[in-house]
Amino acid sequence: MAALICEVVYRGIFQKNLAARIARGIVLSARKSGRWGIAFGRYGDSPQRNGIPAKDFAIVADSKEELEQNMARYEPKHTDVTIVLDDTLAKGVESWAWYGLQPINRLTVPHGTVLMTSLQSFDELLKDIHKKDAIYTLALVRARASFSGLWVYREDHTEVRILGALARIAPSFLTLDGVGQAIKEIEWGSDLKVESAKKAYGRIETREVKITEGSAEIPFSFGLPKWWEMREGVTIPAIPVGKPKEGGKGYVPERNPYFKKYTSRTMRPVIDFDKCVKCTLCWIQCPDSCFDVMPDGTYDANMEACCGCGVCEAVCPVEQCITMVNESLFEDNASQWEMWRTDKDRYQAWMAGKIGDKVATVRSHGFRFRGQYEQELKRDLDTGGVEITAGIPGENAQHKTV
Amino acid sequence: MAVATKAAPAAAEDKELLISGSEAVAEALTLADLDVVTAYPIRPYDTVMQAIAKKIANGQLVAEYIVAEGEHSQFEIVKHASTVGARVFCGSSGVGWAYAMECLVVTPPLRVPMVCLVGNRALDDPGAFGVEHNDALFVRDLGWMLCWIDSSQEALDTTLIAYRVAEDRRIFLPCAISADGAFLTHSQALTLVPPKEKVDTFLPRYNRGDLLLHPDNPITVAPQANEDWVIEIRRQNDEAMKRASTVIEEAYADFRRVFGRAPDNPWFEEYMTQDAEVVLVGMGTISLPIKVAIREMRAKGKKVGLVRLRWFRPFPTEKLVAALSKAQAIGVIDRDYSMGSPFMSGVVANEIRAAMYNADRRPPLLSFISGLGGREVTLEDVYKATEMCYGAAKAGRSDAKTHWLGVRD
Amino acid sequence: MAETTTFTNATQILEPFRGVKKVTIEEYFTSGHRTCQGCESALVMKLMVKAAGPRTIVLGSTGCMYVANTTYYTTPWVVPWMHTQLGSSGSAALGTAAGLKALMRKGKMKAEPINVIAFCGDGGGADMGIGAISATLTHKEYNSLILLYDNESYANTDIQISGMTPFGAHTTFSPPGRAKRIMHTRWKKNMAGMMAAGHPECRYVATVCASYAVEMMNRVRRALTIGGPTFIHSLDPCPKGWDYDPMLSHELGELAIETGLFPLYEVEDGQVRYYGKTKAIVEGRARKPVREYLLKQGRFAHFTEEDLAYFQRKVDAMWQTWEIPAVVPFKRLDATKSALGAT
Repeated sequence: MAALICEVVYRGIFQKNLAARIARGIVLSARKSGRWGIAFGRYGDSPQRNGIPAKDFAIVADSKEELEQNMARYEPKHTDVTIVLDDTLAKGVESWAWYGLQPINRLTVPHGTVLMTSLQSFDELLKDIHKKDAIYTLALVRARASFSGLWVYREDHTEVRILGALARIAPSFLTLDGVGQAIKEIEWGSDLKVESAKKAYGRIETREVKITEGSAEIPFSFGLPKWWEMREGVTIPAIPVGKPKEGGKGYVPERNPYFKKYTSRTMRPVIDFDKCVKCTLCWIQCPDSCFDVMPDGTYDANMEACCGCGVCEAVCPVEQCITMVNESLFEDNASQWEMWRTDKDRYQAWMAGKIGDKVATVRSHGFRFRGQYEQELKRDLDTGGVEITAGIPGENAQHKTV
Repeated sequence: MAVATKAAPAAAEDKELLISGSEAVAEALTLADLDVVTAYPIRPYDTVMQAIAKKIANGQLVAEYIVAEGEHSQFEIVKHASTVGARVFCGSSGVGWAYAMECLVVTPPLRVPMVCLVGNRALDDPGAFGVEHNDALFVRDLGWMLCWIDSSQEALDTTLIAYRVAEDRRIFLPCAISADGAFLTHSQALTLVPPKEKVDTFLPRYNRGDLLLHPDNPITVAPQANEDWVIEIRRQNDEAMKRASTVIEEAYADFRRVFGRAPDNPWFEEYMTQDAEVVLVGMGTISLPIKVAIREMRAKGKKVGLVRLRWFRPFPTEKLVAALSKAQAIGVIDRDYSMGSPFMSGVVANEIRAAMYNADRRPPLLSFISGLGGREVTLEDVYKATEMCYGAAKAGRSDAKTHWLGVRD
Repeated sequence: MAETTTFTNATQILEPFRGVKKVTIEEYFTSGHRTCQGCESALVMKLMVKAAGPRTIVLGSTGCMYVANTTYYTTPWVVPWMHTQLGSSGSAALGTAAGLKALMRKGKMKAEPINVIAFCGDGGGADMGIGAISATLTHKEYNSLILLYDNESYANTDIQISGMTPFGAHTTFSPPGRAKRIMHTRWKKNMAGMMAAGHPECRYVATVCASYAVEMMNRVRRALTIGGPTFIHSLDPCPKGWDYDPMLSHELGELAIETGLFPLYEVEDGQVRYYGKTKAIVEGRARKPVREYLLKQGRFAHFTEEDLAYFQRKVDAMWQTWEIPAVVPFKRLDATKSALGAT
């Protein structure tokens, strides 16, 4: 290997700043190890959208010529290391500039590595990750997905832990010393962060994945038409109007056949149809029109259309009727309403299992808590000047004291 | 003002009127039963909008006449009116055309068959009303069909032909008709106006077909495209422009059949080129002084001819090369500039150089820039250019320089 | 021979939805768009066409609701939809309406009322396209609705300041820095008030917020029924640019109204009518402090108490000193006691 090609797959906006730090960190660490490198975002993912999967790349090489050789294409066609910053991406990604779902390990070379932050077991993850026709290594950094908004960075050391783990995976390009030096010099670095990188280097867990392992799902793929097959005037047919669910009752809208959006989801709504009062709020307030109207007047969130924003839970007036649950706990996109209709008792048991202990299974979009900024400011005032970070540290952060 | 004259019309049913080029266009629009037109004032093209306003005010034409708040909106309004199936007309001049540039750019890929009049005008600064062709030439690479006319009659006829071509489903591209400011937009000439019945035979109703934006034909038009699509969309447009060559020839042939007039060669007018040693090339009303000068020079035994280019896009490459390669020397007189271009020449000169590159016979080509900002192109200018062409013919090569005619030096 | 009256197409008579259960079940803007999780503007699109119904043409100027909604070869639109340029929502509405009118009037197309709606973002509508919108609102013989979805920044291009970005907000063009905490010191334009006050023949202007879905849809239905050129300004919380958990979109919309920051009103034939929670405020209900709204958003995370107080004073002034509270910022000379204080 004369070049190391890394992709960083992440949740758009929520992990934009994190991914950019990692990609930069890879190049700067490699530089400390005497290599050349380049970091860039996949242009087709821009403009990013909250939650919609996106990619950054970092390429490091022994010489400038080798680097150039790997840069002379729109994006790498294969990667030595696929870095995944959220384990719900294990189900595959449908980036907003692609067509169809792509397995997370699609670009990973044979004997390459998928490096993921996750608290799940290897076996749980391999239920989600698609099968690959080559052996590769699944490597885990034990961490929750690090999410934050665009303007406030979450300083949980995820970026340096990934760099430390990468030094273990590709030591000929990133030495642990090189990583440490780079972190120390970088705008957002610190001695504590160097320590975190070293710990991750020591604690990384790996497992070889055989070609028989993984999800057998065949993802939707899309063939691009030729120029003369496309309708002129940049014109495409509209979506047809929807139909009643059954027996002239209910309503199921037609949906965009090419883009489903569900891989944006990190949580999904679980609905207690027995509690539903048919108030319509989830249905009418859903920005993605994901609720199918059932013949009985309840609303079933269509799991191919739902992107997991959680507005339905927020607007539902009935306690515990809609609960957002970690997407990792689900194996398919089957209709909850159909399951409920078939066997209500079984559904209640299933639902209880999913909702379970809310603290353990329910995740947020990564914002530490609702109303966090207000509470931070309050704490700031209460203690007479504790520093909080507004903005992106190292770039434009204001360490605020009152 | 349209004044009917007593002289017998050439074709029995035609009316002969003393009208300007702008008024001739307005006559054509009336005959074409225009649906939506947008106006915004700028000299000199706006005389056409004044003429249309009168037609509507007097009930000769029923159309939506919208005075926009700027050229950007002016062009965008008709673009959208066309997508719901309306026959539309627009136009501008100089920096007004530049102000509309964003909307000019989007019209060809949307395949909107808009017909426009560009009253060619020098670009600011300084503010100047006189003719220069740089304004219309802005869009030369973007999928606009471009032609230049030199008489009121040609203004009327070309407007009808432009709709026929632009609205042909094989094409659906916008077409700008360029008329030299003042020479054509503000002076009146005797013009034959055909009867409506004949126009209806020649020009079918605009049928937007499968691209119609209407609740009965639900479509999504122009979604954002990424790198997987844009080059295919450009390729489609390129093909439509390619097809325009055929459709333009069909339209002229049909025009001749219906109205009994129209040139055999739609692409350019050849004046005394049959035996010409030196062929001068130009666009628009520059033809007038050149033709006069040619007659004077011929009287003195100099075999000079003129190729007046009508259609600049699509560019009639093969036909033009065939016509020009017979000459001993070619002199291209541009009423435009292309600063920093090869040989610092005008746009037309360089297009012809490119077209001639693969020709078996390549006579020396001299490039002249003249008449900018509406400066008169004098007979002396033409004589001077011709003499230089003879010099090149004799030497068997050109000096590859660009000569500015009529500039004080 | 001479036309003395202008010909105007008939409009569809769209009675208000009497309650949420009466809302039409069909979707005319469906899923498969590529907006952010919790995108309130996507919800506005959905409700807008749900209110308008199937005989509608929608024109969309460049912005999130163009780029994210319709990615070539895919679309969420059931009704006919077409892109228009960033500053062209006004021209697109006018051109489409004029084309339909001409063809129907001349018998070239079946005469029927077809709704024409052009939408624009705050950048396309309040900045670049304001001239074209203003012009369209003077053309009383063409029926069209211009809907401005205001997410308070150029959100599509990565969150830059627009003329509608609130004071002090963090955007990529106004990052709080070491030397300047507040890079953006301008106060937001009053679009609805400006459109209503400045266009005497525009018969209907309204403000809406999709957190109140039925109220919002009924304003759209009213605008389309009244006809001529009409204008609606919708305030849309933007989880990406405002930086909050996507599930808070609905709540932030409510807070914008309850704090009095964004008043809900309609101006029909020159008469101002407040509605919803804004009506309650006008009738005496206390406004919530703006800090409850601002501090739920990362874009204001750098605010100090001083900034919060300034913001509150500006909002107080809207309610206490404006001649028509929160609508038109004129004040009589005797009302000089500004809530802004001595400055």
